[in-house]
Amino acid sequence: MSAVIEIEGLRKTFHSMRNGRRVAVDGFDLLVEEGQVHGFLGPNGSGKTTTLRALLGLVRADSGRMSVLGQPSPELLPRVAGQVGAIVESPQFFGNFTGYRTLRLLARAGGVPVSRVDEALDLVGLRDRGDERVKAYSLGMKQRLAVASALLKDPRLLILDEPANGLDPAGIREMRDLMRSLAATGVTVLVSSHILGEIQLICDHVTIISQGRRVASGRVDEVLAGYDRHEFLVRVADPQRAAELLDAAELTAVVDGEALVVSGASDPTVISRVLGEQGLWVGELTPLRPDLESVFLELTGAHPSVPRQVDDSALPYAAQGDAVIDLDRGVDA
Amino acid sequence: MNLVRAELERLAARRFVQLMVVLLAFAFAVTAATTLAGSHKPSASELNSARQQATEARQSMETAFQECVARRDGAQPTEDGGSFLPDDCSQIDPVLQDRLPIAADFLPGVFSFAQQARPLLFFLIAFLVLFGFLVGASYIGADLNSGGVVNLLLWRPRRLTVLATKLGTLLGTVLVLALLASVAYLATFWVIGQTAGLAGQLSGEFWRELGAVHGRGLVLVLLATAVGFAIATLGRHTSAALGALAAYVVVWELGARLVLEIVDAPQSDLFMLTSHVGAWLNGEARFYDEQICRGGDIGFNCQGFYTLSWLPSLLVLLGITGGLTAAAFAVFRRRDLI
Repeated sequence: MSAVIEIEGLRKTFHSMRNGRRVAVDGFDLLVEEGQVHGFLGPNGSGKTTTLRALLGLVRADSGRMSVLGQPSPELLPRVAGQVGAIVESPQFFGNFTGYRTLRLLARAGGVPVSRVDEALDLVGLRDRGDERVKAYSLGMKQRLAVASALLKDPRLLILDEPANGLDPAGIREMRDLMRSLAATGVTVLVSSHILGEIQLICDHVTIISQGRRVASGRVDEVLAGYDRHEFLVRVADPQRAAELLDAAELTAVVDGEALVVSGASDPTVISRVLGEQGLWVGELTPLRPDLESVFLELTGAHPSVPRQVDDSALPYAAQGDAVIDLDRGVDA
Repeated sequence: MNLVRAELERLAARRFVQLMVVLLAFAFAVTAATTLAGSHKPSASELNSARQQATEARQSMETAFQECVARRDGAQPTEDGGSFLPDDCSQIDPVLQDRLPIAADFLPGVFSFAQQARPLLFFLIAFLVLFGFLVGASYIGADLNSGGVVNLLLWRPRRLTVLATKLGTLLGTVLVLALLASVAYLATFWVIGQTAGLAGQLSGEFWRELGAVHGRGLVLVLLATAVGFAIATLGRHTSAALGALAAYVVVWELGARLVLEIVDAPQSDLFMLTSHVGAWLNGEARFYDEQICRGGDIGFNCQGFYTLSWLPSLLVLLGITGGLTAAAFAVFRRRDLI
């Protein structure tokens, strides 16, 4: 598969009189290949939006190499801009214009047939509200309009920064279905979001950024597998005795209330055999698989029990060992 | 071309632009209505009387000048019989006056187009200059502040093309609007003069002079528009242009003028933009500076005036506008749009 987005060593520092120098992106790498639905995750202030802005030529990078659809960006971005639909953060629209007129203006400015406007409004569920002024739209409707603006071009690549912002649960689901259907037609999608469950449901690939650096990248299932500790939740009548038996079998077992958390077993049948042979019958044996949220929190050092500031300088988990988990490329130490 | 059309539509749809156009129409209507209400078509007897008074006024000026010359040449005693006669008789020489009394000067309550067209045009130009500056500033300022420019750049990622198209569309629109407004404005007052007042002496020279003021006024409107646009681009916000304008007026036109006067800086009016605006609009501007007469061989009749002509003023105005616009484009080309 060919690369649709390539970013290598992107670095961006902001300078301000009040806050001094702040490194927003620090040697970041990203690879999105054709046909992927690629999730782009990171805590607030981790550099997601700055990365997308730099990629789209809105922010000047200090250093690094970027390309979009094979063209160096931002130098030759205009060559492929017609094939890239993008929204960056929540775009503001002219409140006095109707949704239809807003899209018509963009279509006209971008040389897109105005007939696409109705199609785009229909795709995002605004067909019947296109004649209303944007200022009367709810946050979710504005977000839909933003996505419609990105879809106007019938893009090969769709870059969506927090597309679920302001959407209600039904809207989030519609957005998920929309992205799936676009992906099914061959559109490559790069989507940044805080809603990790959504990313896990929608995306086949993911890149996680923290403190301006990539801390994980690859297929979603492989990233999760990289954090699978092969732990199992076991319920038996006598957890204390079961723990002793498992310890004796060189497995690690920790009593957690009326259950056990067992690790170190590559095969769950070992657990049931060790306990069964001693007359302890297993009532429940559940593998404890990591989800994207737990991996995200572990990688970014954002533990919910600790109040954390957006600019906290704590090194992300992976960066502590100076290693980046890249399941497409192996582990770089 | 598509981008120009889109920008034209955006500009026309801006509430602020619409409000300013309504204000322009309102000011226009109020001025025309009050002029119409306060004027009447002069009767034949009023006209005859006015012509006679004008003739007498001109004769009186000629008599005063002759008396002054006679006194200067020693043909008459120095007493002036109660009337003021200056030492320099050229001051009251009828030939050297800007204009001589005419019948319209003696027709109270009668609007004379020939007499009033120029000051009316100055009023319109002043409004259009303000219009251009504010619309220019708000057009780009609001777009930068609201993210409209970012939206546009996602579609057309060519910053200089986008900004140049915006400026070009703005200048074109303001020029067309200013042309239409001024033509409608002058035509309306011409009709008032013809039907409810006095047309006056509408010679070829009158129209040439009025056309020159009109042309210079339109240039000034475009310069003000570009300056408003450029400052708002530099400051990323409409208020940057308004703040810069207010700061300039207070700090430089008022404060620095006072300081320059205190330190007796020579020809300090040359440092003020308003002087150059006046000189450009009028063709020239005269300023008083007593220091001119302090030199050794200036002569007894030194009046202390100096003249600023239109060409250096135009160069100053073009230089400032060009500099600000170039700076705006240079900054916008490299700026982080966040």
